[in-house]
Amino acid sequence: MPDVQSMVLEFVNKLRKRKIEGSQATARCTVELLRSVISHHRVPHHANQASALIDAVKAVGAQLVAANPVELAVGNVVRRVLHIIREEDLSLATAAVAGLDLLDASDDDEDVNGKGIGYPAMSAAVVAAAARSTLRPPSLQTLLEGTPESATVPYTSSSGADSESKTADKSSITRKLKHDVIEGVNQLIHEIAGCHEQIAEQAIEHIHQNEVILTLGSSRTVLEFLCAAKEKKRSFRVFVAEGAPRYQGHLLAKDLVARGLQTTVITDSAVFAMISRVNMVIIGAHAVMANGGVIGPVGVNMAALAAKKHAVPFVVLAGSHKLCPLYPHNPEVLLNELRSPSELLDFGEFSDCLDFGSGSGSPLLQVVNPTFDYVPPSLVSLFITDTGGHIPSYMYRLIADYYSADDLVM
Amino acid sequence: MWRRSASFILDKHQNNKPMSLTPSIDSPPPLSASVADENPSPNHISAYYQTRAAHHEIVTSDWLEQAQAAVRRYPDQDSPVSEKPFSVIEEFNKWRQQPALAEAVAAIRALAAVIRASDGNTMMELEIELKKASDTLKAWDTTSISLTAGCDLFMRYVTRTSALEFEDFNSAKSRVLGRAEKFGEISNKARTIIAMLSQDFIFDGCTILVHGFSRVVFEVLKTAAQNKKLFRVLCTEGRPDKTGLLLAKELAKLDVPVKLLIDSAVAYCMDEVDMVFVGADGVVESGGVINMMGTYQIAIVAHSMNKPVYVAAESYKFARLYPLDQKDLEPALRPIDFGVAVPLKVEVERSARDYTPPQFLTLLFTDLGILTPSVVSDELIQLYS
Repeated sequence: MPDVQSMVLEFVNKLRKRKIEGSQATARCTVELLRSVISHHRVPHHANQASALIDAVKAVGAQLVAANPVELAVGNVVRRVLHIIREEDLSLATAAVAGLDLLDASDDDEDVNGKGIGYPAMSAAVVAAAARSTLRPPSLQTLLEGTPESATVPYTSSSGADSESKTADKSSITRKLKHDVIEGVNQLIHEIAGCHEQIAEQAIEHIHQNEVILTLGSSRTVLEFLCAAKEKKRSFRVFVAEGAPRYQGHLLAKDLVARGLQTTVITDSAVFAMISRVNMVIIGAHAVMANGGVIGPVGVNMAALAAKKHAVPFVVLAGSHKLCPLYPHNPEVLLNELRSPSELLDFGEFSDCLDFGSGSGSPLLQVVNPTFDYVPPSLVSLFITDTGGHIPSYMYRLIADYYSADDLVM
Repeated sequence: MWRRSASFILDKHQNNKPMSLTPSIDSPPPLSASVADENPSPNHISAYYQTRAAHHEIVTSDWLEQAQAAVRRYPDQDSPVSEKPFSVIEEFNKWRQQPALAEAVAAIRALAAVIRASDGNTMMELEIELKKASDTLKAWDTTSISLTAGCDLFMRYVTRTSALEFEDFNSAKSRVLGRAEKFGEISNKARTIIAMLSQDFIFDGCTILVHGFSRVVFEVLKTAAQNKKLFRVLCTEGRPDKTGLLLAKELAKLDVPVKLLIDSAVAYCMDEVDMVFVGADGVVESGGVINMMGTYQIAIVAHSMNKPVYVAAESYKFARLYPLDQKDLEPALRPIDFGVAVPLKVEVERSARDYTPPQFLTLLFTDLGILTPSVVSDELIQLYS
């Protein structure tokens, strides 16, 4: 247990100091940490042990999210794990109740009068339906059924079964839950690791012969995407906007040329000039919000506006760990990070303007260096995720599949 | 990235002199010919809007609180009068008179009364009786969408409840009754949930444009004021209901800075607005909303100036309608008083509501969560499939 605590603290420190770059790496490390937390957590041997697991994961998750609130992949992955726990618990519960129901039936056959051994007030189907409704987000269907109090499946006190067999069932359920959850988490890690291949597989459908593609900054997903199309013998050209002030577009251009693609490097300001000669804009996202809005590297909003004006399709690539179930209400400020002004200006030349030490109050020159940009959903034509291509107004559906409503606030 | 500076907050601090209400310009006294020069062939006036208008005349916030407290007490005293035959419409009207009660809640309470008064012995009989009562209610006022939606929702719930295995009829009946009684609580809870969800979207120093007096939107603003957020509200006058005046009065009591506009001044003021908040009479399958006349206009102006339009609506207002244009709705007419007599030859557009298509709406705040307009059809399909 103390070992896990120190692991958590170490990871929190890394997040706070922004030592881990990239949402995929962050997501993987977070899931692996949560897997250790789950496997080391001593689970109580009575009914509501799924909620014990959920509380443990939530506690760790809240710490991680607080350490780096701008890295949305952390929160996404924590919520995915919570959803996995709830799902596994539900499937075990329905199996258990069905099993108990059979036991009850056999008991009833023996006891003619039926006294002393009652049958459960509601059949297994009703319990399962009620439990399933706890897992789904609230909907019109469940409106009149009322909200159940506990977050996990209520274990109905079906007193019909034999007490010994009941405890035997329950302990096997205990062990099985943790095992199933760890399996689910392993699958999640596998999914995160393999998202690039899944997305790149769809490249051939979207990139056609002799097309001109525009991209901005550098994204590994975009690189794999373009190279997959190249491997399938499509010949096309790529314009790379350099993505000031980090100039990661230069790195991407080098990688593309190494793989044999014809590349042109342009400045960010030239995007509007070149957009009319471009067939498609492809961008890698940092995060995708529930309304279909995109958080991307600074400059993508400009590229999106240019694309809209010239009716060029704007395609966003995002792995499923980037889908965030929250709605952005002030994304330019709250989901952004301001980096050091040294990336823009040289301290040596500007030392007199930026000097705070002179004691005469704040200097007249201010430098703003945001990391991210927010693109509203109306500017995006298509999202390509590892499950396929979707339009922005469909993203809520994927989010409902991956996350439970109870986990939105941690 | 930076919002417009909230200079109105500074102005408020600096100008401590109280805002003087400009005396309203006295309208010329109505001519005695008001009786004679009425428009010929007055169509059926929508009862829904009549009731809402009646609410507006009597409702104030203390009245609302008293009414809410009265409703919360378990209504044991509505034992039906013995000699009169049971009339669902009378029951419905009785519930509807309470201004705090939403339309759909009144409908469901009326249907619950039908169940209580019924002496059937099987779920099938009960369902048939309920269907008859529900059809009567719907036929009595064809224009009210929440009424229709509430009836449909309840019927749907009863049908599904009877499909579940209950041992005997009485427990099923009491379960359905219990749920119907609880629906009033659900409706109030829905308003609180919606208010909570929308708090993040109201930031300090924002200007909100509100149209019509929606109880849900009022709850949102009240909660924001109680959370000490600094914002101001622009209310449209809301002719001919005077809803803007009522809302302005209520907001002034909460110390929220309010500015009244005539309906035509919306485009003029739109550039200083940060968001538009409206309620809904009904949310249709396409994700659009049906609301008081003028909402469509405001949504178009807001959309053209890139301002977000937020709709606050409870989920039981979702209706299985798909209007393709404004005239597709059941016409809901209401009398409009111009202050002077209108000559006989002149027609008056008396519709009370309009339809706002989903492309002009940004988000819907419902008790099911924050939804984009495209989610509405999904929810409806899930419910009715």
